[in-house]
Amino acid sequence: MTKLHRRLRQGLALTVPALALATALSGCATAPPKSDTADYQAYQQLNDPLEPTNRVFYNVNDKLDTYFMKPVAEGYVHITTQGIRNHVGDFASNIGEPARMLNFMAEGHSKDAGTSMVRFLVNSTVGIGGIFDPASAIGYPETDTDFGLTLATWGVPAGPYLYLPLFGPSGVRDAANYPVEWFATPMEAAPASAALSDFGYSETGLHLVNTRAELIQPIDQIKATALDPYATFRSLYRQSRASQLQQIEQRDNRTWPDWYRQPAQ
Amino acid sequence: MHFRRFILGAIASAPMLAAMAGAAQALPPDQAKSFITQSGDKLVGIVNGGGSESQKAGQLRDLVNQIVAVDQVGDYVLGRYNNVATPAQKQQFQTLFHQLLSYNITYQIKAYQGVTFTTNSATPQGDDVLVDTTIATPGKAPADVGWVVEDDAGQPKIIDVIVAGTSLRITTRNDYAGVITDNGGQVSALLNAMQNQISKISAAQ
Repeated sequence: MTKLHRRLRQGLALTVPALALATALSGCATAPPKSDTADYQAYQQLNDPLEPTNRVFYNVNDKLDTYFMKPVAEGYVHITTQGIRNHVGDFASNIGEPARMLNFMAEGHSKDAGTSMVRFLVNSTVGIGGIFDPASAIGYPETDTDFGLTLATWGVPAGPYLYLPLFGPSGVRDAANYPVEWFATPMEAAPASAALSDFGYSETGLHLVNTRAELIQPIDQIKATALDPYATFRSLYRQSRASQLQQIEQRDNRTWPDWYRQPAQ
Repeated sequence: MHFRRFILGAIASAPMLAAMAGAAQALPPDQAKSFITQSGDKLVGIVNGGGSESQKAGQLRDLVNQIVAVDQVGDYVLGRYNNVATPAQKQQFQTLFHQLLSYNITYQIKAYQGVTFTTNSATPQGDDVLVDTTIATPGKAPADVGWVVEDDAGQPKIIDVIVAGTSLRITTRNDYAGVITDNGGQVSALLNAMQNQISKISAAQ
């Protein structure tokens, strides 16, 4: 089996059941009449026409999380230290640097692309495969982007909100990130092998558990204090994406080599 | 990655909800910074100090009433439904909002044991000032939290908390609006949900 076939099979194993479920349950919110100006404007601004379906998936994910992911994450916290969890996070972050570099290039942000490149080179070597993050210490902190944000810099609107089975909060534009992220990893450059596939599964699983472990207390708190956790997560997601886009457009990190010298003030 | 970051940051600042205030004078950045430093020191002093959890909860409630424009929080959070709610509903909403805010502030005080608070810069934003701080809790990554401070009748008051680009007042307004729109635009549904939440939390404490 070729590497591409293997990766496609992995991806389809996750997405086909999710999409089938989505199709089976698809339903739309009823828009208020245009004569009701305030309600209609609020509906347009909310941009969540699939809210009934999204809420079904939110509830499904919530159950999966409550009875599977959260207990696993709590067990993981019990057997690891914060230091170990930080290193696991650094390792997963390092694997994502090549994809970030490509996205920054596509966005026309060469300096940020350079930062991602330097981070990947330094952390993969001096940082022992990304377990440590010496790049931040020498002035190249992690800068985040993804294909959804790349599309945003190209002027693609966010589109309706989507709550995806397994993946969680997203949108029509941002969902395009998942297939791109799936293939833009360093593992794609290595020859296909069963061991590599196993590594890919293990890394993805560990990253998921590690991330969930960091969110135990925050998610518990949102669920305990929000009146409508679905609406709260939707609001946080949208504000966060808008903020990320703003940061990308405003950022001017230093990069080696210094391709764009700043004019003297 | 980004989702993890904003949620972590948002929670680190959970003790401070804020709201939009009315027209005000421009506040000097230094005064806002000093106000946030003093408020942060008081907050840390209460959380890390002695006394029972209920004593700390009471002290925190008093502190928040002093430093946050809580009534304006309610007005902002109710948003466009201020025009729909009856005067009695508005009054009930404010009462419930004060109670709910108190419960949310004191939720999981233990989780903030050992918290430290560092004030960084203060930047004017129109008539308001955004004060950047770093909040660190043992065993967790430090969170950058921005506090929007406004001059409220001569006194600096917090009107919003910004974490990783997310505004807590906007998040809360959207949370509450979700309840109302899911119940046919009825403000009474929000009041019921708030009352139920208060009952649930007080039963658990």
